[in-house]
Amino acid sequence: MGNHSNWPEWIYIGVVIALLVWVGAEAWNVERIVEHVPEDAEVIKVTGQQWFWTFEHEDGTKEIGELHVEVGKAYKFEIHSKDVNHSFNIHDYVVLLDAVPGRVNTVWFAPMEAGVHDIQCREYCGLLHYNMRGTLYVEDPKA
Amino acid sequence: MRSVIGLFLVLTVLIIVPAAGYVYAAGDEPGEYLDRRVEIWNLFFRMMTVAFAIGAVVSGTIVWQVWRFRESNPNAKPTPYEEKGEW
Repeated sequence: MGNHSNWPEWIYIGVVIALLVWVGAEAWNVERIVEHVPEDAEVIKVTGQQWFWTFEHEDGTKEIGELHVEVGKAYKFEIHSKDVNHSFNIHDYVVLLDAVPGRVNTVWFAPMEAGVHDIQCREYCGLLHYNMRGTLYVEDPKA
Repeated sequence: MRSVIGLFLVLTVLIIVPAAGYVYAAGDEPGEYLDRRVEIWNLFFRMMTVAFAIGAVVSGTIVWQVWRFRESNPNAKPTPYEEKGEW
């Protein structure tokens, strides 16, 4: 082997490692801030079962297949399952988390505009998985 | 050289702007909650930019190497085997 200098290779390796470290740090940081639940978030218990969603608010109000929330408030979903794996998804708000029997998964969001959005199941759970849908109503705060 | 500087400038902007944003961000006060859609999609677009930049550098390097070391290149030097028959 000749005694050729190999500094270009070391620079190449260094740049690649630096970029990978940066990508990892960015992703970790975004996950950290996205998962930090505000103290004043209202807890909503979400239960998935074949083949519909039910919601229970802090004040005991229960809803089946639809969920009413207010603009400008933070909500924390505690996601349960009664039978098989489901996945709770509000596509427009990038809320996506599995509902696993025997386990509670937590995700939060804060809608800033009034509107109507789809809720769907994103984990195959049986024959009517395609129709395991709901509606999210984001309403202006009651005066 | 200029294209390398330009590439590093783009990557620097991709690092400094989000880092400054995180330093000043709160994200958990009423009326100022962070929008998870914005955070997640921004991360996605930054990662896509990095991925395509790396892809362009790596594939550009390979293309250059194949072109430079083809047998018909005017600067091509015969290997010791081609010249003298020695491994």
